Amino acid sequence: MARNEDTMADGESNPGTDERLITTDVTAGLDEGSAAATDSSRTMIEARNVDFYYDDVQALNDVSLSIPEGKVTAMIGPSGCGKSTFLRCINRMNDLIDIARFEGELRLRGKDVYDDDVDPVALRRRVGMVFQEPNPFPKSIYDNVAYGRRIQGMDENMDEAVEQALRRAALWDEVSDQLDKSGLDLSGGQQQRLCIARAIAVDPEVILMDEPASALDPIATSKIEDLIDELATEYTVVIVTHNMQQAARISDKTAVFLTGGELVEFGDTDRVFQDPDSDRVEDYITGKFG
Amino acid sequence: MATGTERQGTDGTAAFGGVSRLRGVVFQYVTFAASLFGILSLAVLLGYVFWDAFGLETAESAWYATMVVTVVLPVAGFLLYARRNPLAGRTALELAATATGGVLSGFALVVVLEVIAGSGLWFAYFLAVGVPLGALYLYGRRVEASWTGLAVLGVLVAGPVAGTVLLGPLSRIGGVLGGPGVYYLSVIAPTALVARHVVDGYLDGPNGNYVALATLVVPILAVPAVDTVAVLSRSVWLLFFPTLVVPFSIVAGRNLAAPGRRVGVVGPLAFALGVGLLAVVPDLLGITGPSPWFDWQYVTSAPSQTAEQAGLYPAIIGSIFMIVLVALLTLVLGVGAALYLEEYAPSSGPAGAVTQLIRINISNLAGVPSVVYGILGLAVFANTLQFGFGTVITAAFTLSLLILPIVIISAREAIRSVPDSLREASYGMGATRWQTIKNVIMPRAIPGILTGTILALGRAIGETAPLIMIGVATTKFSPPSGLFGKMTAMPMQVFTWSSYPSEAFQHGVVAAGVVTLLIVLLTMNSVAILLRNEFERGDY
Repeated sequence: MARNEDTMADGESNPGTDERLITTDVTAGLDEGSAAATDSSRTMIEARNVDFYYDDVQALNDVSLSIPEGKVTAMIGPSGCGKSTFLRCINRMNDLIDIARFEGELRLRGKDVYDDDVDPVALRRRVGMVFQEPNPFPKSIYDNVAYGRRIQGMDENMDEAVEQALRRAALWDEVSDQLDKSGLDLSGGQQQRLCIARAIAVDPEVILMDEPASALDPIATSKIEDLIDELATEYTVVIVTHNMQQAARISDKTAVFLTGGELVEFGDTDRVFQDPDSDRVEDYITGKFG
Repeated sequence: MATGTERQGTDGTAAFGGVSRLRGVVFQYVTFAASLFGILSLAVLLGYVFWDAFGLETAESAWYATMVVTVVLPVAGFLLYARRNPLAGRTALELAATATGGVLSGFALVVVLEVIAGSGLWFAYFLAVGVPLGALYLYGRRVEASWTGLAVLGVLVAGPVAGTVLLGPLSRIGGVLGGPGVYYLSVIAPTALVARHVVDGYLDGPNGNYVALATLVVPILAVPAVDTVAVLSRSVWLLFFPTLVVPFSIVAGRNLAAPGRRVGVVGPLAFALGVGLLAVVPDLLGITGPSPWFDWQYVTSAPSQTAEQAGLYPAIIGSIFMIVLVALLTLVLGVGAALYLEEYAPSSGPAGAVTQLIRINISNLAGVPSVVYGILGLAVFANTLQFGFGTVITAAFTLSLLILPIVIISAREAIRSVPDSLREASYGMGATRWQTIKNVIMPRAIPGILTGTILALGRAIGETAPLIMIGVATTKFSPPSGLFGKMTAMPMQVFTWSSYPSEAFQHGVVAAGVVTLLIVLLTMNSVAILLRNEFERGDY
């Protein structure tokens, strides 16, 4: 259970696949070829023909994309287009919904996270998540940041770990003298940065962000955006947003989902915004619909 | 309605006109009248009962005059002053609440530990459950080991079993120590730890170690003084010390240390002094006071054919014994069922339909008349399981079934009111379901669960019909001898007295019984409310 901090965040030591996801000791059946889609940089997450259903309603339709390591990948699209659903597929948060059904392949470092031998809890310990509404626990700031480490049994050097996480989330200077205060007493922007600190305190490999700035004012939003920029140096960030300017500002890659859960366009952000292949995407980006 | 001409005021400026609020105002006063009616009816009922229970009609008007001078005027004066100085009012309230709560919970502790359980039995379970739990808690605070949660669960299951199996040898240890020794180790010593933690953690001022030391030493030093008081045995003193003396000293000390609050002490002091004077002065002046039915003799003696000697003691003990068991059973079963239904049970597919069916049926069970539960208790617990007719355990199980649906529904409601965003946050961090329930859901849900349980227990302690069905005695002259001992309950005894022909029984003794029932109920509720506030305040 006690993972070492230094084994994280350096993908170099672990090419192709990763047995840390697997709680049982079954490593067979991992094909090396799945990591072949590396062009400019290493692939962190690769989706192949992903379909997703809520009961009878199809939320994702044949989505295939590969998210590079150490980059910010943005997912944009109108409401109900499936971008959040896709994000939640990555750390299997959709497992919590009884009626949800997943089909296809979704590989993290080459290992299909929907394989039977993958423990979703172990998966989520490596894929952190930040939600749309800031949702700190009704506990002290310190306990909020320490939560993930405590439940994972990483009890040593807690004070340093909490301080480091708060520093990396650009919150330390504002809260260093009030760590005992409830996380709910902070402002909305601070709460969201606290949630980011909570997510990075356990050193995940990927951070998923589900419209992290949509409930915040412009100043708090720009702080979060700076922070995402900062985080991309150490983590792979996947961010869902419906703010296209935001996607253009902060991301390296952009995926555009349109109604029906279809991935219409995926590529380098500059190209997607300046010269999209699809007319529908161009209409969406230029504000003709959506 | 507003035409162009109407929008112009007489002087040519724009007029906004009016919006009719007639129906709203009428509705407001109707709701006000409804709440007033409810509150007044309750006040009349309580006034009537208290008038009889305290025999206030025998008091001369001179006694009332004395009361006004010694108690009412000083207190009213202080209240007027407190309006101008809210800090003093708060201090007075704090002191009064601590003293009242201390006395009531002291009595509760004496009844539960000394009268019902007995020091030997209590010490056996304290050793089997309390000591390992305390050790795990202290250890867990120090090292944050992940296995302590599981170990706590293990102790909660295995502890009572071990205590029951080893009851003989363990209670013999208690026997060797004697009542005072047992309470010193099992009540005073933990209190010292708690006091140190509270003083160091929440209050600035004295060093917690000194407070802990005082908590350990003072009860022993006071023993010679305690021995001179006939009603106060050493055991009773040791049980009242942590509930009354320690909290009151801490609260009073804090308030006396703060200059702005010091003046607030005057209020409670004046009240205590006034009550003391009221007890002494009328006697000296030869004024006849009230002749209360509700007095020390009433709560400590057995029922009798003569109204003056009648007492409620066996029924009080029976009721408290029963309700403690009911509280334990319903909390464990009710919260367990609610957690399963809300957090674990599937909510879709065929299994989900079963879950839904169970949920609906539990809601329906909450409305089943209590007599039906009485019949069930008679058939299942008294007859089939041979728990015996009219025994404490049969009554406790029957009443637990009666209020279980209410507890499950309110606990489910409390668990469901925990925002999903917190669940997602916890699961998103890679917490297991159990970690999420333990760290996120339960801390948020406990206040709501306790609120529902308080209401349900209030209903259980006042029930008569199911008790009649399972053969609980209408009158008993001694408290129940144990789990399988025959019992009677307060409402049963009161009901029996109400059919006695004598006027003194119908008015005085019955009213005193009602007052006793109310006091027990309020004590129970205030303990639960204190617990709830504690959970609401703390960040667990």
